[in-house]
Amino acid sequence: MLKLLVFLPVFGAALLAVIPGQHRQLLWRLALAWALAALLVTGALLVVFDPAGAPVQLFESRAWNARLGSYFALGIDGISLSMVGLTALLTLVAVLVSRHIDSPRLYYVLLLLLQSAMFGVFTARDWSLFYVFWEATLIPLFFMIDRLGGENRQRAALNFFLYTLGGSVFMLVALLFLYDAAPGHSFAMHDMAEGGRGLPPAMQLLIFAGLFIGFAVKMPVVPLHGWLPLAHVEAPSPVSILLSGVLLKMGAYGLIRAAETLPAAFVAVQDGLAALALASLLYGALLAWRQQDLKAMVAYSSISHMGIVLLGIAALDPAGFNGAVLQMVAHGLSAALLFLVVGLLYRRTHSRDLADYDGLRGRAPRFAFFVAFGLFAAIGLPGSAGFVAELHVLVGAFRHWGLWVIGLGLAMLVGAAYGLRVVGHLLRPAVRSTGPDDMSGSETVAAGLLAAGIVVVGIWPAPLLTLVGGSTARIAALFAGS
Amino acid sequence: MIAGLRAVADWVWLVPLLPLLAAALTGIRVLLGRTAGDAGEPPTARLAEAAALGALLLLLAIDLSVIWHGWPGSRVVATWFAAAHWQGRVSFLLDALSLPVATLAALTGWLVVRFSAPYLHREPGFHRYFIVLGLFLAGIQALLLAGNGLLLFLGWEMCGVASFLLIGYAWQRPQATGNALFAFVTNRAGDAGLLFALGLAAFWVGSFEWQDLFAARLPLVDLRVLALGFVVAALVKSAQLPFTPWIARALEGPTPSSAIFYGALLVHAGVFLVLRLDPWLQQLPDVRGGLLLIGALSALYAWLCGLVQSDVKSALIYATVFQVGLMFVAIGLGWTTLATAHLCLHAAWRTWQFLLAPSWLTLTRERPPAPPRWLAANRWLYGAALQRFWFDQLGLALLAEPTRAIARDVRALEANFIDRAIGEPGRGRPVDPGRSLVCADGLPGRLLAAAAGLLQRFENRLLLRGRGGIGERLLREAGHWLRVLEELLEQPRYLMMAVMVTFVVIL
Repeated sequence: MLKLLVFLPVFGAALLAVIPGQHRQLLWRLALAWALAALLVTGALLVVFDPAGAPVQLFESRAWNARLGSYFALGIDGISLSMVGLTALLTLVAVLVSRHIDSPRLYYVLLLLLQSAMFGVFTARDWSLFYVFWEATLIPLFFMIDRLGGENRQRAALNFFLYTLGGSVFMLVALLFLYDAAPGHSFAMHDMAEGGRGLPPAMQLLIFAGLFIGFAVKMPVVPLHGWLPLAHVEAPSPVSILLSGVLLKMGAYGLIRAAETLPAAFVAVQDGLAALALASLLYGALLAWRQQDLKAMVAYSSISHMGIVLLGIAALDPAGFNGAVLQMVAHGLSAALLFLVVGLLYRRTHSRDLADYDGLRGRAPRFAFFVAFGLFAAIGLPGSAGFVAELHVLVGAFRHWGLWVIGLGLAMLVGAAYGLRVVGHLLRPAVRSTGPDDMSGSETVAAGLLAAGIVVVGIWPAPLLTLVGGSTARIAALFAGS
Repeated sequence: MIAGLRAVADWVWLVPLLPLLAAALTGIRVLLGRTAGDAGEPPTARLAEAAALGALLLLLAIDLSVIWHGWPGSRVVATWFAAAHWQGRVSFLLDALSLPVATLAALTGWLVVRFSAPYLHREPGFHRYFIVLGLFLAGIQALLLAGNGLLLFLGWEMCGVASFLLIGYAWQRPQATGNALFAFVTNRAGDAGLLFALGLAAFWVGSFEWQDLFAARLPLVDLRVLALGFVVAALVKSAQLPFTPWIARALEGPTPSSAIFYGALLVHAGVFLVLRLDPWLQQLPDVRGGLLLIGALSALYAWLCGLVQSDVKSALIYATVFQVGLMFVAIGLGWTTLATAHLCLHAAWRTWQFLLAPSWLTLTRERPPAPPRWLAANRWLYGAALQRFWFDQLGLALLAEPTRAIARDVRALEANFIDRAIGEPGRGRPVDPGRSLVCADGLPGRLLAAAAGLLQRFENRLLLRGRGGIGERLLREAGHWLRVLEELLEQPRYLMMAVMVTFVVIL
């Protein structure tokens, strides 16, 4: 079933690549069908998965390179399943809003390949396989930004590629180190986890440093975030959706997986991680506040919100881990919504400047509604998913660092400042009577899906918490003594 | 039948609730726009009337049950809220004090509601009037039947708000709104006393229930402080000295509301509260003496002022204050039964008089009697009475003016320092000439702007630049040196040297 999930989009991509004709509508429908199919498979996974059951379910493993000890192993737990769900949903949304994109064939093929790689990252149960899928996401993304992006696209694409590749080199070296140091000589995650836990702390720290650089570039953590503002601003908006919605989560997801493997290292650098998280939080929030370009603002706010995830992970307790995973989902939804509306607005007006959106409410009410909704969700208004997540992180972090978590509060305050500034401009009386066309049907559906997700998770978080709770509790149990 | 009456006291909570429901329903109808025109009036009036009648009948049934089953005493209906060891309960105390007064209040309420419907026909605020009247009836019943200080306070405040709203009934006239504010603010002084006493009760006794309060063995000093809080509230509500001026200004409302508020019910709320505190007062002869003195002075004052009034309503209100003063005298002397009876009789009589006030001229067809000769002869006393002993002006000079001056100063402080420090929306300067919409004002705003500017400069250095960045310059320099090295290596002599060096290293 997981193999089906991972390779289904590849078949779709192959089909789209060879289908004759340049019929834009047909290609769109096909891609949509494929995205829906992936969502269906994810739904089936949700039904099959038992949160109270075994740690890793639907596990399947096949020797890949037996001599090296690498396996083609797939499996899911609560955390990866929630990420798979997010990926499927956001891919659907990305397809929904890219009805009028340029060079559709190339775009859809790359999009489906990217989806396959993302599914692979979240379901891999073998570090070598994880690494392969991790790198595999880079290629479609590079071409998508490079071929379809804004005016600075080539610089952004190269920047993005170099940054992440540089990060993953460190990750690869660390993985090889771990492979070498662990007694089992196997890349399978559980073998490596057992081996890693037995290592002396100094060794664990060394390996952790490599892994952390790889993941921190992706997340991103200040000061390794250099690629993000450029890439987000230049990428076409559906790609921004996936980039901020899913790709950033890969870093956090990897970090959680690493926590299973190198617990001693995490305990040793716990305070440092929290400091980095608070730095990210404030840095992103302050810079977002300073932007008048909406897309750049959302990009910097992403840095800030991923700081919350890192803070949750650094707390190393159930509330913190739960909050981190919830925040991954919440930020995936809210950032995707914001990039979606801002991207669509950009396509209509060719401007991302806030000044051009004065009085949008009168001219394009649906746009105004969804921008405001996304901003409120990003602030973490009670009733939105972000609130539940932030509360968990706050509870988890407060236990460890007490009043230091006031940094989180400050960042949220600044977040409210720039969010409300945008909302205020949207609600102004319109200067011009004409404006961009309002959202079309499919775009409204896409934005509505995300908004509904935010509200459902915000008001009724229990199912999601149960889904991830078992897995996070298991990880947190590793740190119970510290 | 008789056995069925036993349970009726458990339904006493309906008495305050019915008028409140009627008011809420009317409010909903107004919000839905169902009350336009003449056709909208009868349902409103009938609803209020039914609620008042329902409350009256219920109370009469409870009164009947008393004959066979005795006084119901305290009834706890529900726990309103609870925090730590003390709780606020919805409880009612039905005894020889509360039941007669409440029944009389319900009867008066019903009659006044009936009277009001034709009286206010086609007035612009018809529905508003009935909503506020419902609020008042609910409040006064909660006040009278309350089994604890908290519920009494709730009713007390509801009455105060309703009184404020009805004095300002004709809100288009500045005088009406000014008087409403005056009455409300004076009443807040009494509320402060009540709140103070309730807070002390929670602190010292740990309960608001009347029985617990009266059963508590407190030191006499504490008891005195506690009782004084209640007594101040009572004096304000019953318009005794020195709080009398508000009631003369409170007659701005429609006549039926004046009748029920200041003729019949609200003005007696203070007397009722003091009667309720009788178990305490029996231990505190000095407080009783104070009441006696204040009551006597108020009566004298009201009598003198009443003699020189030239309009019906003012004359009536001073007569009311006079009678209420006499009630306080009776309480001061310890004659509580007399005071209770006096209260009931006076309330009934005065309601009738107030309701009659608009027709007074046609009824009497005479000039009102001139002030008695001895008063007219004493110029000073006559002037003082006419000026109501300058209480208004005194209050204005001693309380209102200093308060206003302080408010002015605080406002100046706010405008000159605090507002500037906090910043105001829309007044900020752009942090960057290129970004006109990103503005910051006030201290936090400037701090934010400075921090963000600093980080932005850092960020600009951090981002890899396509051309002209540090990274590219370093790479180019490295490339240049490598090329030089390669050129050198291409020359045979340097190649040979490199091979030799390699050999040396290996060996």
